[in-house]
Amino acid sequence: MVARLLLRRLLQAVPLVLGVVVLNFVLIQLVPGSFLDVMTAEQQVTDPALIERLRVTYGMDKPVWQQLLHYIGAVAHLDLGYSYRHNLPVFDVIAAHLPATLILMLSSIAIAVLVGVTAGIVAAVKVNTWWDTLVSVAAVVCFAAPSFWLGIMLIVLFSVRLGWFPVGGMTTIGADLGPLGTALDILRHLVLPAVTLGLFYAATYARVMRASMLEVHRNDFVRTAYAKGLTRARVIVGHMVGNAILPVVTLLGLQIGALLGGSIVVEAVFSWPGIGGVLFDGVMSRNYPVVLGMLLLCSVFVVVANVVVDILYTRLDPRMAKEIR
Amino acid sequence: MSKITGLSRRSFLTNTAGTMLVGLGMPTAAWAAQARRGGTLVASWGGLEPQALFVPGGGGSSPFQTSTKILERLLKIDSQLSFQPVLATEVNASADFKTYTIKLRQGVNWHDGKPFTSADVVYNVQEHWKPISAGIALKALQTVEAPDAYTVKLIFSKPVPEFFLKSVLAGQYQLVVPRHLYAGRDLITNPLNNAPVGTGPWKYGQWVRGSHVEYKRNEQYWNRGEPYLDKLIVRWWGDPASRAAALETGELGLAYSNPVPARDVARLLKTGKVVADTKGYENSAWTVTAEFNQRREIVKRREVRQAILHAIDRKFIVDTIYFGRGKPAVSPIFRSNPIFFTDDVPKYPFDPKKAEALLDAAGLPRKNGSRFTINLLAAAWFEENAKLGQYLKQALEDVGIAVRLDSVDRATALKRIYGDYDYDIAVSNFTAPLELVPVVTQFFTSDGIVKGAAFRNATGYSNPAMDALVEKLSIETNPELRKKLAHEFARLASTDVPIVPLVEIESFTLAGTKVRDFSTGANVQGESLNDVWLAQ
Repeated sequence: MVARLLLRRLLQAVPLVLGVVVLNFVLIQLVPGSFLDVMTAEQQVTDPALIERLRVTYGMDKPVWQQLLHYIGAVAHLDLGYSYRHNLPVFDVIAAHLPATLILMLSSIAIAVLVGVTAGIVAAVKVNTWWDTLVSVAAVVCFAAPSFWLGIMLIVLFSVRLGWFPVGGMTTIGADLGPLGTALDILRHLVLPAVTLGLFYAATYARVMRASMLEVHRNDFVRTAYAKGLTRARVIVGHMVGNAILPVVTLLGLQIGALLGGSIVVEAVFSWPGIGGVLFDGVMSRNYPVVLGMLLLCSVFVVVANVVVDILYTRLDPRMAKEIR
Repeated sequence: MSKITGLSRRSFLTNTAGTMLVGLGMPTAAWAAQARRGGTLVASWGGLEPQALFVPGGGGSSPFQTSTKILERLLKIDSQLSFQPVLATEVNASADFKTYTIKLRQGVNWHDGKPFTSADVVYNVQEHWKPISAGIALKALQTVEAPDAYTVKLIFSKPVPEFFLKSVLAGQYQLVVPRHLYAGRDLITNPLNNAPVGTGPWKYGQWVRGSHVEYKRNEQYWNRGEPYLDKLIVRWWGDPASRAAALETGELGLAYSNPVPARDVARLLKTGKVVADTKGYENSAWTVTAEFNQRREIVKRREVRQAILHAIDRKFIVDTIYFGRGKPAVSPIFRSNPIFFTDDVPKYPFDPKKAEALLDAAGLPRKNGSRFTINLLAAAWFEENAKLGQYLKQALEDVGIAVRLDSVDRATALKRIYGDYDYDIAVSNFTAPLELVPVVTQFFTSDGIVKGAAFRNATGYSNPAMDALVEKLSIETNPELRKKLAHEFARLASTDVPIVPLVEIESFTLAGTKVRDFSTGANVQGESLNDVWLAQ
């Protein structure tokens, strides 16, 4: 059943990703300024012949549709092009920065789900008490606070005032700490950026989880569970949470792409060496190959995340498995 | 003929060490102490990660700062604005100033152990500087010869002023790369540009993309005993607020070229953990400019441009946009340029009534409150430029000029200003170095008009008198006569005002209190930081 689902989703993903590639390419062409403008400015190129030569070298002398076809053909062969700014293939640029972003993203998701779901459960179980109010207020604050502001505030408090965590970066530069020491060092650098990024999503999950728990609480099977004499804790953990978490899982799938985008700001604030900075620089310098590669990566992430969510659904909700069958 | 000013780098440091923290009201510490060896310094600035650690065409400030730790030039300019020997020990001109003989330093090795010789310089002149990095500055160069292993002769088709040539040799793009590793390979795409091999005080260690580059001490550096530090880290720190926090916690030891917003400087200094210095920027001035497109009917009229300048309060710009960290510019020659600056130029003091009267006299009276409409384009690669655009809109509207303001990002600005010429007035920037030719003059000469080439004559201004004047300036070898020509240039530029520097922006460096001798040269970004040391 899972194999059939996977196959169906992958087949659906092909035209979707192709559409994304075409759309991204066309949209980027509409943005004023090109990487040639930035490149010639930075390199102080004044010779018109050299400017023309660069135009030919980077294929910009060809019509846009030819450039698009060439790009699609290259992507089909997993060739994402060459980044003139990095003197490296785009694939290598992404490979160099992706691990840092993945570490940050996965940590943020873990924090968001753990904190958000727990807070939502507490708010629902203690509905209309000061616990509920506390969770609601905290959720609103975390949701409303811009991540760059929250990041700076955390730096001021925990780095500058208390000195508990470093201001930025992923490791202590120049330190020879060994494998375990390095892991702990990364963990220490990870806390503030992961919390900054995770709290925003935790706020959303807390609100959704609370509402979902309250809705599930009204269902007959919950009443039946209580009637069977189960304790409140067993009803909540064994019967309610599994059912109430489905909307959170849906949201998680939808937000993977946004999480990748949100990491741009957090990576900038904490000098985290991930793909956020590369994408920002790529946009500012019109480094099309890098931007297109990154956007393609985001699209693939979203597709994969949604396939995972679908599979999770079949595990969490037997009705879904029946539907797929 | 003359030799390079014969002050050694070490004695120069000793003389200046006690006068470091001037300009920002900082106490001058008794820092003329013996330099201490050891330690690691983490340095940063306000810019992005470079595209490569060395970019042959220059590539802007980022690769300039990363490459100059490893690669060296023939000369450098110290903070007293005299030329100092680096890889060249002497640069002598012939009587007719058409031939320059350069004596090279002996006993210098590349980081891979091969000796540095005249063959390396010949290669760089022929393959690197003339075709790529020096541009039109070496246009008159005919041939380069190497009579022996440590002598190079540059032969020009016309006289070349000595100060001009030395400025080129000390210029930020004339780095010397090893011939044995570059010859026969494409200079621009050579993978070695990501891990350069040079003669400088620092050897390439590693480059962690997105984070930092690590330099190791060159134990065989020709200036024995230097550098003092064990390790130097240049780190990219994207966000100014967290950069300020990193300075406060000590994670960042040195940050230059206005690394935090001007409004944060006072707060940082109050912590007592950070010191500030305006030294290290003497060889140039960073200016914000208004450029008038001569292809547009209204602003191509000189009297209109002059009227517009009377409507702009430059002191207000300095005080409110730059928080007092700058000075109103006088002309394209920056105020502290001791060689060429003159105050004897036409000026345009803030006088809205005069601006209105001049516009009336130009036959552009108010009709329904407005005289005409202009397109103002602010190149918002600095937030101050966007703010200046907003101020100019209000200032011009006060004298009856309707303004359509566009604040655009870097790539769009480069395309619209220098490629499409799509603006009436543009807010942009340029760096005015000590030597005027060609960096400053090309904004005014007809041959500076190159479609698509940034930071050149984008206004389309073309005046045969200006072209002739700059041509004379390019070949005049008598320093006094050259100075007079420069003054004439400043007066003509300030009369025609096709492009007007509005403000000279004050540059500053911030450093931890233990960091010593961090701005001993005239261009801190391009210093190798060989003489920086950390106090206990």
